[in-house]
Order: sequence, then C-alpha cells, then structure tokens
Amino acid sequence: MKELRTVLALVAREKKDIWFSIVFGVLAGLTTVGLFGASGYLISKAALAPPLYTLIIVIAMVKLFGFTRALGRYVERLFSHRATFTILSHIRTRFFEMLEPEVPHIFRKYRSGDLLARVIGDVESLQNFFLRVYYPPIVLVIVFLSTMIFTTFFSWMLALLFFLGLVIVGVVIPFIATLKQRKSQYSVREGRGILSTKLAEWLYGFRDLKIYQKQEETEADLRKSMETYEAAHERQQLQMAGGEGWNLLASLTATWAVVLVSVWQIGAGELDGIFLAMFIMISLMVFEDAGPMANVPRHLEDNRNAAERLFSLPGQTGRHSGDVSLEPFGPLSFSMENVTYSFPESLTPVLQDATISFPAGSKTAIVGASGSGKSTIQQLLLSMDVPEAGRIKVQDKDMQRVSQESVWKEVNTILQESHFFYGTVRDNLLLADEDADDRRMKEVLERVKLPHLSPEHPVEEKGGNLSGGEKQRLALARIYLKPARTWILDEPFSSVDVLTERELMQDFWETAVHDTVILISHNLKGLEQMDNIVVVEQGQVIEKGSYEELMEWKGYFYRMKQLENTLIG
Amino acid sequence: MKEWNLLLKKEWKKVSVIVLAALLLAVSIIGQGYLFVTIVDRVFVEGGGLSAVLVPLTLLLGVLWIRTGVSTAIARTGVRLASRAKRMMRERLLHKISGASVGESGQVEAGRRVSVFMDAVEETDSYFSGYVPQVIQSLIVPLFLFVTIAVIHLNSAFIILATSPFIPLFYIIIGMKTKEKSEEKVEEMNELSGKFLDILQGLTTLKLFRKAKAQKETIETSSLRFRDATMEVLKTAFVSSLMLELISMLSIGLIALEIALQLIIFENMNFFTAFFILILAPEFYNYLKQLGFAFHTGRTSMGAASKVFEEINKPEDGMQWGEKELSLSCPPHIVLRDATHRYGEDGFYTGPVSVDLTPGKNLAIAGRTGSGKSTLLHLISGLMPVKEGTIEVEEEDLHEYREDEWMNHVSYISQDPYIFSGTLKENIIIGAGGRSSPEEVETALRKAGLYELTQRLEDGMNTPLGEGGRGLSGGEKQRLALARAFLKDPYIVLLDEPTTGLDLETERILSESLTELSQHATMITVAHRLHTIREADEILFLEDGRVAGQGTHEELFGTVDEYRRMTTASQGVEVQ
Ligand SMILES: Nc1ncnc2c1ncn2[C@@H]1O[C@H](COP(=O)(O)OP(=O)(O)OP(=O)(O)O)[C@@H](O)[C@H]1O
Ligand SMILES: Nc1ncnc2c1ncn2[C@@H]1O[C@H](COP(=O)(O)OP(=O)(O)OP(=O)(O)O)[C@@H](O)[C@H]1O
Ligand SMILES: [Mg+2]
Ligand SMILES: [Mg+2]
Repeated sequence: MKELRTVLALVAREKKDIWFSIVFGVLAGLTTVGLFGASGYLISKAALAPPLYTLIIVIAMVKLFGFTRALGRYVERLFSHRATFTILSHIRTRFFEMLEPEVPHIFRKYRSGDLLARVIGDVESLQNFFLRVYYPPIVLVIVFLSTMIFTTFFSWMLALLFFLGLVIVGVVIPFIATLKQRKSQYSVREGRGILSTKLAEWLYGFRDLKIYQKQEETEADLRKSMETYEAAHERQQLQMAGGEGWNLLASLTATWAVVLVSVWQIGAGELDGIFLAMFIMISLMVFEDAGPMANVPRHLEDNRNAAERLFSLPGQTGRHSGDVSLEPFGPLSFSMENVTYSFPESLTPVLQDATISFPAGSKTAIVGASGSGKSTIQQLLLSMDVPEAGRIKVQDKDMQRVSQESVWKEVNTILQESHFFYGTVRDNLLLADEDADDRRMKEVLERVKLPHLSPEHPVEEKGGNLSGGEKQRLALARIYLKPARTWILDEPFSSVDVLTERELMQDFWETAVHDTVILISHNLKGLEQMDNIVVVEQGQVIEKGSYEELMEWKGYFYRMKQLENTLIG
Repeated sequence: MKEWNLLLKKEWKKVSVIVLAALLLAVSIIGQGYLFVTIVDRVFVEGGGLSAVLVPLTLLLGVLWIRTGVSTAIARTGVRLASRAKRMMRERLLHKISGASVGESGQVEAGRRVSVFMDAVEETDSYFSGYVPQVIQSLIVPLFLFVTIAVIHLNSAFIILATSPFIPLFYIIIGMKTKEKSEEKVEEMNELSGKFLDILQGLTTLKLFRKAKAQKETIETSSLRFRDATMEVLKTAFVSSLMLELISMLSIGLIALEIALQLIIFENMNFFTAFFILILAPEFYNYLKQLGFAFHTGRTSMGAASKVFEEINKPEDGMQWGEKELSLSCPPHIVLRDATHRYGEDGFYTGPVSVDLTPGKNLAIAGRTGSGKSTLLHLISGLMPVKEGTIEVEEEDLHEYREDEWMNHVSYISQDPYIFSGTLKENIIIGAGGRSSPEEVETALRKAGLYELTQRLEDGMNTPLGEGGRGLSGGEKQRLALARAFLKDPYIVLLDEPTTGLDLETERILSESLTELSQHATMITVAHRLHTIREADEILFLEDGRVAGQGTHEELFGTVDEYRRMTTASQGVEVQ
C-alpha cells in the first residue's frame, strides 16, 4: 500500500467533500432500506384493515424516505464526483512537480508517450480509488450495521444472516476474485502505456518512417499492441462483470435465506407474520448496493499499479539546486578546474580533466570535432548537471552551491536544438519576457531578419511549420528579449545562410561588446577577434589561446584552418 | 455514427443474445415477484407454515439464479460488443494516420492525437457496454411488467400510463445537452494531453527561461478545466436522475394510495394482488430510470465518438498513390514540370520549378534561409503533394506508382532526423528494410564516421538510443541519418544540409563517402555552405520560393547577384 500513500495524502486534502459524500451516502442508503421496509410493512398492515390514521402515518413516512433518498443520492454524487476530479488534478500537479527536476535525465529511462500515458491514463484510472474503493465500503458497512441493529429488535437469527451475507458479499467473494486476477500477469495499465508510447513515437518519427517505408510495419506492430491491450482490457471487464454476477447470486441467495428463516421463525411463533414482507423488501435493498463490492480489490490492485507507475519514477537523478544567489545583472565569469564528466553507458568520459576559464566580459570560442564534448561543456556551465570530478565556479562561487535559477536568470543561451511550443510566435516570445508588447516583438523579429513573422503567426509543435533557419532566428529573438549579459550559444547559425549569418553576427557583437560570450562553432571564420579559443578533442582540452597563438602553435587548430582553406578556398 | 449501426448489424448474434436474455429477465422478474408474494400471502395471510411454502421457496431459488445468470450474460455480451467497436475505431485511426502526408497532418499535434486514440475511444466504451444493453432491457422488461400489471389491476396501469410520459421528456432534455458537453469534455482532455506532451518535451527550454515551475499552474488550470467540463456533463445526469427519481416516487405513491384505498375503504382487492403490484411497479420505474442514466452515458459516448469519427473522416490531404511498379537497375529519369506547392490556403508558395534530372545527375539547391529549399525536397521525395505541375519518373507521373515502390529507391536525410527509441543498430538498419549483415552495418558506420563512437560504447552497436536510451551529440545524429542512407544505397539521395553541425574534418570524411554514393545515384543536395555544391552538375537557386537562377556554378556566378554574394561571403571575402 506504500504506493498509495501519496494518493491518500492528496485525497485527504478534500476533507469536506469526503464527509459530505459519506454522510449523504449513508443517508441515502438508510432511507432506501427504510423506504422499502416501510412499504412492505404498510402493505401488510393494510391487509389487516387498521384504523386509517396509522396508515396515513406510514404513508407519510414512505414519502419522506423517498424524498430524502432522492436528494441524498443527488448530493452524494455531486460531492463525491467533485472531490474525485479535484483529487485527480492534485495528483497530476504532484506528478509534474516530481517530474520537473528530473528533466532531461528522465528521457534516458522513460519515453514521453509513456509519461503521457501515466499523467492521463493512470491518473484517470485513479478516479476509481475514491469513487469505488475509498468511501463506498464505509457507507455500505454503516448501512449494513444499522440495518442489523434494527433487525436485532425482531430476530437475532435474521441479524446474523445479514451479517453472514455481508461477509460473503463484502469479503469472501472479493477475495476469491483477487486470487483469480493475480494469475493474469499482463497489466492493463502497462499495456496502455506501451500503446501510447508506440503511438507517440510513430507520430514523432513520422517522416523518417515514411521515407523508410516503415509505417506499415509500425502500423501492424501498433495494431498488435492494440489487440493485446484490448484483449486484456476485455478480459478484465469480463472478469468484473463475472464478479458482480457472483455477488448478485450471493445477495439474492441471502435474500432467499432471509425468507426461509423468517417463514420458519413465524411458524415457530418467534416472529410476527406482519414483518415478513418488510424483511423481504429490506433484504432486497440492503444487498442491492453490495454488488460492486466484488470488484473493490480489483480496483484497488489497479489503483496500486497506477500509483506505482506515477510516483515511483526513479527520483534524484536530477541535480539539486543550491541556494546561494548571484549578484544581479552583470557579465558572469566561469571557471572549470579539472572537470571530468561521463555518461553511464560510455567507456570513456565525455569530458576529461578539462580546465578552462571564462573571465567576465571575455569572448571565448569552443571548437572541436563532432561529439568531442562541446555541448556537454555548455550543459555544465548552465548548471544542468554536476561534474564527476573537478570544480566549476561561477563568479568565484562553487556552482553546486549556487541556485540554478539565478544562473539561468543571468545567462542567455541557445541550445543546439531549440524547442518551440505549440501556439503562436507571441506565445513563444513571451517565455523570455512576459511584458513584451507587440511593438517590441516586431522590433526584435525585424532585428533577427524575420520580418515576415508577425506575433500572431502560428507555431506548430516543435516549430514544425518553420524552416530550419527560421527556428534558429526565432530562438535568437527569444533571448534578445531577455535582459542578461552572459551568452552561451551552441552553433546558433548553423542552418542560416552566410549572408544572413554575417548580418546577425555583426548585430550580435554590437549588443554583446561588454558581455561574457561563449560561442560553440564549427565555422572557423571570424575567430580572429575572440579573446580565447578552446579546442576540444575527445573530451580533452588540447589547445587554448588567442587566434595568433594557436596559429603559431601549428597544432590541431592550425591544421583545421589549412583544411578550411583547401575546402572553401 | 453510421459505422456503429453497421457494427450492430454485423454483430446481430450478440444483439440477439441480449434480446433473448432480456426476455428471460422480464419473465424471471415477474416470476420472482409472484413467488415472493405467494410466500408472504400463504404465511402471513393464510397462516401457513414452512411446509405450505416449500414449493414456491424452491422455485424462488431457481428463479433468482436464472435472473443472476441472465443479467451477467447481458453484461458480458455488452463488454464484448464494446471491445469490438473500440478495435474497429482504433484500427481506422491507425490507418488514417499511416496514410497522411508529412507537411500538413503527419507529425503535428502528437499529444492530441494520442489522446483521441487512447482516451476518446475509451470513452465510447459505455455506448456498447452500457447503453445498448440497457436500451434493449428497458424496451422489453417494462413492457412485460406493464402488461402484467394491467392484467391484474387495470387502475394501476392507468396511473402508470398517465405518469410515464414525463420520463421520456427528461431523456430529451438530457439528450439535448449531454452530447455537446461531452464533446467539450473530450476536447479539454485532448488539450490537456497535447499541452502536457509539449511541455514535457520543452521542459529544458522552460527551465532556462525560469518558467518550468509556472507550468505547474498551466497543468493545474488545464486539469481543473477538465474537471469542470466533466462535472458539467455529470451534473445534467445527476439532476435528471433526481427528477426521474422524484417522478417515479410520486407515481409509485399514487399507485400505493390507490391500492390502499381499494384494500381498506372499498375492500374489493385482496392482499395478494396489492402486494404483487407494489413489488412490480418499482421495478417498472427502475428500468425506466436506468434507461435515463444509460441514455446519458450513451450520449456522452456519442460525443466522444463524433470526435473520433471527425478525426477519421478528416478530408484526405495525403498523397494519392497509384498501383504501378517501379523496378530499376539504374537511377530513374526524373523531370519536374512547373511543379508548385503552397502550404495551406495562403501559406508559403514555392515554384514553379522545372528541372530535368537525368540518371546520376548531381543537383544542388541553394538559396537563403526560408527560401523553400526543404519544401522542394519534400516535393521531389513524394512526401508532399504538388499543387500544380507534375513530377515525372521514367516518363510516368510519380503518383502512378505504388508508394513503397518509389520510396524503396529514395533516401532522404532531413534537417532534423529523428532518432527512434531502439538500439543504434536498429536505428541504422531501418534504412535498409532490415536485411543487412553486421558487416554491412559496420561499413555504413565507417562511411559515416561513426565507427569510433561504437567502439567507445559499452554495448557497442546494441546501445539503446533515443527516448529511453542514450543521447547523441548534434553531429552524431546527423551522421546516423547518413549511415542509414549509406546502408540503403538507393538510386535517389536527397540531402538537406548534410554537413550542418559537422566540423571540417568529419565533413571531409563524409564528402568522400557521399561521392562514392553518388557514383550510382541521382543526388539532390540542399546547401548553404556553397563550397559543398560547387561541383554540382546543376544548381537551382531559390529566392523566396521562386527559381532565381538555374545552371552550373560558373553560369550562376556570372548572372545571379545574390548567388555571387553568397559564394564570396562564404569565402570570407567582402564584396561591394
Ligand atoms: N544524453 C546523452 N547520453 C549519453 N551520451 C551523450 C549524451 N549526449 C551526448 N552524449 C555523448 O557525449 C559525447 C559528447 O557530446 P556533445 O553533445 O558534448 O558533443 P559536441 O561536441 O557538442 O558535438 P556536436 O558538434 O556534434 O554537437 C558524444 O560522444 C555523445 O555521444
Ligand atoms: N509545414 C509548414 N507549414 C506552413 N509553412 C511552412 C511549413 N514548413 C515551412 N513553411 C514555410 O515555408 C517557407 C520555406 O520553408 P523551407 O523549410 O522550405 O525553407 P528552407 O529554404 O529549407 O530554409 P532553411 O534554409 O532555413 O532551412 C518558410 O517561410 C516556412 O516558414
Ligand atoms: Mg553539440
Ligand atoms: Mg530547410
């Protein structure tokens, strides 16, 4: 039940609605039993031709019970459903809270379609937790016990029968049902997750699958997963219908036993015959709500499963933020001292013993072969991860002790791949500055050579309707709106043509004259003006210095320049 | 909805099982009432003992068991029907997606589509598992009960007749509102899914703009909005069931009053009849009430279903493919005649483009960013339909061929290749239809300059990549996509800026491999680093979607200003 603890804590936040649901549930349950019991009594009484006023009293009672029952049910449903859906929203937010610090590391373990299935499907299935597992048994037991107490005034035997019935319907049959369920290994929840994951992947990789003519294969594979899921789901539903069937059988048989015992007791003179009809009616009603009890353990198991999938994402792979803040607003300085960093699956570290310093206001270029670790340096400087060994300092403070948010506040960065959100250009620009008005947006769009995009221009998921270069320029527009004076840019113009690149660069350098700039680039042109060039090769810093120094050195950088000359001429 | 009726027709056997079961159910309900009343009558009124009721008691047990069996059979058949229907819808959705074209309906809105496929379809479940069986039961059982009541006591039947028209009235009220509201609910659900997936994918970006924490509120608001939409749907159900309850209670009260009067004042009715009616009448109303609730669920399902069918029946914008085969032993002859394309109604317009791609030709497409280069590649690859003009392959319209016949000969390395969740090896052999030996894969990896990477990995080529696996650097992803092409070794190679994000050294290795590939393939390369295309047989220079120049490097250099400026700029020489 450990998994459900978080859910229980979130359920407890809706105390008022829970109380209302239980109180009105009990009220409705009791009045139902009362209503039918009284009408059974009424009819028997009427047969004896009693004085009219006794009948009128009983009839009035029946009416009163009827109204109370209808209203009780209404209120119970209203409150219990409202509570349920509020609880679901709590669960969703909590899940997101847990997830947030784990990104991006979480994608090494989980796929986004899977996470989606969790936050939608698993959360939805938890609605049964409150609506079927949590409070109905409480209501049922209270109603049963009240009925039993009422019955003891007439017959001990009947009360005992009711109790036995409750045990069979509420405990024995559900228990047998769980045993049966344990046998099936395939979990419907997981099946749903698999299906959703595969579908999301199919949609994301749609173009590549189409080119390689894999979409039919994928479709067939998805169809198979769908069949498996659907079959398991069907089996589960059938089992549930079966469970309810067994409970119905037990309930009706119990009612039958009530009739048998009553008749026998009446014969023995231990019970007045006038109550026979009443007990038949009571018994029929009190067992009516017991049918769903058969599936309570099944729902519970399903909920446990869902809760586990939701709240047992491996925690703490992400990095914990420190709490020291940086002094606001100014170009930052960074330094890396003997930094080593590796990903779990690699044999060699991605960065090895790297020592680089980035003084405030300096301009540094990081160059090197593809896969040599340049973007990793960016990740570390952005405090997205902590090095295995060595130290990273920002403003001479240990990065691990500085709050991530305050680093992000002071840094304008472009990742190698920028994400754009579904919506409009405006929505995407507002991320950087909530107060930016249209005039400013147009200004900045103009500045990054995107005058044809208005703030209203739609943007599809992942910027799907923009060209490669447009995405890069929009990413630049986004950070231009944010007032920070440290720039860490990972190949910001790799998909932009030379002419545009040159205009953008010129403009950028004018903006950032006094700022700290770290530029990752494959383009070796224009590096003459950089204060410092760092050459990375297979995770190691093999050369660093100014342009002249490196050319003098006649090492890797020099060779690359030579190569450039032969290629581009 | 037509599809559903068809399904019901096809599954007529299951429907008849429900009908039969409902008939049995009606009989057993009446029998059960009759036996209860008989027992009470004999014991209470006639003062008989256990022996007097042994027969009815035994019969009663049998009837109760039959009732159980019958109800369970109905429930189980409903479950089976629902499962059929859901399979049918999901299959059609899959089929629909797989036929879509890339630009307009592929790829986009993944979250929303997943939600339609998973949740909206699930929502339709109750139509077959709840509504249909209930309608059948509620048509049959009350009818039997009514006739029985009319036979034993006509007055009660009149009261029932007088009050029951109110009940359908409420169905109508439910019906009017519920479907719309449930459509809204499904929409909210889709939006919630879409939003979540988008936020999840962009969470790193959100963090860097310090907006990640704020997304908690977005999620919360969306899911509260979803709650409110759900409650709107449910409230109508609750209110109407309250109303139905009150109506049926009033009616039962009227019947009871009438019976009491008959029994006591006029003394022309016996206890047996009175009790029998009093047991049957609530059952009658019960079935009508349940129908009300089922009607509500039915309408809710229909709301969801209309969303599903909306998706299924969305007008096709995909490529229309023919049936022709395309077997080649050398690169095909491809001709574009005034081919154009437009995104949506008034989106970006590309073309007209005319170009003759003789077998083995090396075409380059150049132009400034956003000038329509990638769009043109999409057209040639057959991923997007041309609007006007034609693309001919071997003197036949491209659309005459079967899709796979064409695609089998094409490799397309896009600007942002997708890395599937799977091993490195799987990610590469996807290009060659899975029939490659380990040696071939290794060669392809070498050509792409990725072999060293696999040596550095614990699991080598079996390292899982993509979501749920290891990440790759930008250039590695690009090279992985190239490795797919090297392995496939097709007749037509489309490259969208193949050397983006690569250092010069890696680029040099690749250009050798690409030259080798071009020996027996038609190559179409998009590039803005112009040095890579100087050797091309023909260069198409695009400006704002239009062809601004067409010819060899020398020709363009002489005639097209923009082209000259770009080439010289990439050499680092300022032009005036
Ligand atoms: N998420 C990840 N998980 C595991 N390994 C990774 C991950 N991201 C990158 N790597 C590996 O770390 C190494 C360095 O990657 P990085 O992204 O820093 O390279 P890069 O220098 O930026 O290359 P490029 O110029 O191609 O972008 C590569 O070998 C890459 O495969
Ligand atoms: N799916 C789409 N829907 C609507 N418009 C689009 C879509 N894809 C691209 N566009 C628009 O079409 C124009 C041309 O885009 P395209 O991707 O062909 O440019 P490109 O020449 O490849 O540019 P780049 O060099 O920047 O990649 C752009 O203005 C872009 O916004
Ligand atoms: Mg990188
Ligand atoms: Mg492009």
